[in-house]
Amino acid sequence: MAFELTVNGTPHRVDADPQTPLLWVIRDHVGLTGTKFSCGIGQCGACTLHVAGRPVRSCSVPASTAVGKPILTIEGLSADGRHPIQLAWTELDAPQCGYCQSGMIMSALALLQKHPAPSDADIDAEVTNACRCSTYHRVRKAIHLAADLMKVKA
Amino acid sequence: MSVNRREFLSVVAAAQGAFVLGFWLPSRAGAQTAPVASWYADPATPEVNAWIVIAPDDTVTIRIAQTELGQGVWTSNAMMVCEELQCDWSKVRPQYASANRDAREKAPAWTLNVMGAGAADPKGGGEPTFGNRDPKGVSGIPDSLYRRMRTNAASSVKDGRYYLQLAGAEARERLLLAAASLWSVPVAELTARNSVITHASSGRTTTYGQVARRAAETPHPHPETIVIKPPDQWTLMGTEQKNLDVPLKVTGQATYGIDVRVPGMKWAAVKACPVYGGDVKRFDFDAIRTQPGVRSAVQFPIPDPALTRGRVFSGGVAVVADTWYQAKAALDRMPIEWEIPPANAAFNSANMREALLAALDRPGQVRADLGDVEAGFTRAAKIVEATYSTPFLPRARMEPGNATVLVGDNRVDIWIGDQSPQETRFSAATITGIPETNVHLHLCHLGGGFGRNGNGPQAEHAIMIANAHRGTPIHLLWTREEDFIGTTYRAMGVARLKAGLDADGWPIALDVRTAMQEGGFGPEASFHVTSRYHVPNYRYSNHTTKFHVPVGTRRGVGQAAHEFYRESFMDELARAAGKDPYRYRRELLARTNLPYKNDMIKALDIAAEMSGWGTPLPRGTARAIGLEERGAEGNGMATISAMVHTVSVSRRGTIKLERVDVAHDTGFGLVNPLSVKKQIEGQITWFYNDAVHQACSIKDGRIAETNFHVFPLSRIDEDPPEINIRFFPTQHWLIGMGHDRATSVQSAIADAIHQITGKRVRDLPFRGHDLSWA
Repeated sequence: MAFELTVNGTPHRVDADPQTPLLWVIRDHVGLTGTKFSCGIGQCGACTLHVAGRPVRSCSVPASTAVGKPILTIEGLSADGRHPIQLAWTELDAPQCGYCQSGMIMSALALLQKHPAPSDADIDAEVTNACRCSTYHRVRKAIHLAADLMKVKA
Repeated sequence: MSVNRREFLSVVAAAQGAFVLGFWLPSRAGAQTAPVASWYADPATPEVNAWIVIAPDDTVTIRIAQTELGQGVWTSNAMMVCEELQCDWSKVRPQYASANRDAREKAPAWTLNVMGAGAADPKGGGEPTFGNRDPKGVSGIPDSLYRRMRTNAASSVKDGRYYLQLAGAEARERLLLAAASLWSVPVAELTARNSVITHASSGRTTTYGQVARRAAETPHPHPETIVIKPPDQWTLMGTEQKNLDVPLKVTGQATYGIDVRVPGMKWAAVKACPVYGGDVKRFDFDAIRTQPGVRSAVQFPIPDPALTRGRVFSGGVAVVADTWYQAKAALDRMPIEWEIPPANAAFNSANMREALLAALDRPGQVRADLGDVEAGFTRAAKIVEATYSTPFLPRARMEPGNATVLVGDNRVDIWIGDQSPQETRFSAATITGIPETNVHLHLCHLGGGFGRNGNGPQAEHAIMIANAHRGTPIHLLWTREEDFIGTTYRAMGVARLKAGLDADGWPIALDVRTAMQEGGFGPEASFHVTSRYHVPNYRYSNHTTKFHVPVGTRRGVGQAAHEFYRESFMDELARAAGKDPYRYRRELLARTNLPYKNDMIKALDIAAEMSGWGTPLPRGTARAIGLEERGAEGNGMATISAMVHTVSVSRRGTIKLERVDVAHDTGFGLVNPLSVKKQIEGQITWFYNDAVHQACSIKDGRIAETNFHVFPLSRIDEDPPEINIRFFPTQHWLIGMGHDRATSVQSAIADAIHQITGKRVRDLPFRGHDLSWA
């Protein structure tokens, strides 16, 4: 069954079962592989993307729920890789293996949209993605740096 | 229809290693158009040597033969080459080395012999792990083109440094020779820096890009005379360099195995028998054959243990479909019956623990026996005895197991993130009958490693399935649940330590017994070499039993569990003696003859000083110290660190790691100190997670916890708010530090719990123990 998704501002006609999890439609039909699969049960957050401005664990929601709503993935965060979060992550060399980092960055984006100057407690509450390399120490610093960069920009 | 093996063979085109059932006959044309990954495309300029290609615009491509899995090898390997090449670091681009060329070409002779006088020679190559020349790279380093392609044992720098520095130096000297012949001047009059070659007396300059083609045609007349820079001459190595692939990782552009897309590719989802050693009795493909996208089902046997280092996994069945989710959804609906060995199904965590404890009471293999332990116990003023345990632990890397394989008539292509590509190449050749020289293994980034993930049979599954669909690329992807079944485990272990203390509280006799299943990795850690802390009468024995769980080299190998036993017991002895655990360790190290004892003492002193050891803390907060060393019992390469962990336990029993102070030795020099800091930070929370939360239990022969809702992963709220790292120099080459740092988190939390609550926890993880206090 065909339906349309708008991903990073571009409409995509998709021929898939609308009950397919959004993650797999994004990866295998739209063809954007930056959003990752890891647990498949919405636990780890590697598949985090935004639907209508809110973070969603895309492995656990049907694609049909995103029809007619703007979807933002890591590939759409910036045209040039220079979004303040990406700059902060690069400056602090935050990723290790990097596999969870797309989801981590999309969760950080949601946090910073809600709390432009987040406290450590805000970070603990909102960024609940799992990272097996445990890059958390640099991720926390990078979130604070990104908040500063966004303030300067604003 | 219900399919049994006999019907199967009558309807199926059987290929070696797997049976395929389906209505789809794959095209064989695909094999002739196997895509060649763009990263192997010949650039405009031929390579200077197998590691280095310099384009006319001065871009330097440096080939990396290890796999990037977060440890920073893409950057550190490139730094070691660039240091000697003297090229412009900003123009360096890493790319994976060709594992196929490695099968076809021999290594240059100048890579084969380590120069210098071993671990204590700053001008030399250190002490790489050579052993024999095993072509699979398992028990030694091959003499094939790229030498060591494995990524394990924190050894990429230790083993590869001297020949990567040589590769850079060889290319630099040939670039200079090319410029000298171009200008007809003596090569000795030329200098190279930042990709520019200068002839000072005539004022002429050229760039590497301009002479690279000529250099490629200029052999080095005496490569055996090349020397490498010692650390005091390094200019790039030893400086903090950001990892070259981070821009790809913050934009979603890095290619992991799961991201590989090949024209005509189909997807495979797999279920293997959840009890190891089990197989498929029957399955009903008819029940799902009309599901959307479904193409075929493939039964595959237990992967040949000769390809998985003797480990027995399970047989299973795959469904192949147009998309992975279609394959997975159909597989979930397909009835499957398993053939389960009853003896294996009889294993449970409780009876396995009993079996290990019983093994401790049987005579084990005595590996160290110094003085007279029993006489020491008789003379002792006090006896302290403790039994510890650690559970089965999987790697649980974030990227589930996967591989994309295309088997053609006489060529195999594999796209995979793999910690041991030379072994996987051998598996492909063995399963398909196609020679290794025709196996093209294309390395991808790996979403976490934590112990050679290829120990699990992801590649063997994919090769067997693809071999049954020759001509069509098959992308196999395990679910998270399958990844828990397909990985190898760190063996469950127990230890009993018994010490006799003299009237002053110093140990005069120590008996250490450890037990894990046969085949468990690092069964003795370094207990068989030394007690580390001085004791005149010492005995160590290891004890085994037989279980069915495939065990392997998870991060830290045996060391991680054994450090929990050893360092916990030191804390217990210090408490029994009424002495400060830092000073108790310090004194017992000072009494040894260990060659690196002063470095170990220094590590303890620095960490204690950094932490404010001995200064008051609020009620409910405590400090504990631990020493970490690998190799320091000998006089070869070693890595030494000490950490003080400041831990709080709430009255309700919630643990919080508040602060970690780290003293870490640099040896003669770290290649990229930034990556070392990141590794230390990450391993602190890795081992915190192990100690506090993680365990896999066995129920009726199966792994009971197979996803993250029951196998908890620490999140950012459990990362310590403060980590302080101080490096100190030592006079030896480092042995590596990617897998066994911060093991002290485990014993330190145990001792902090004891200080705060009075309770001593000896069974990991801490989760599940009542740690409340009033």
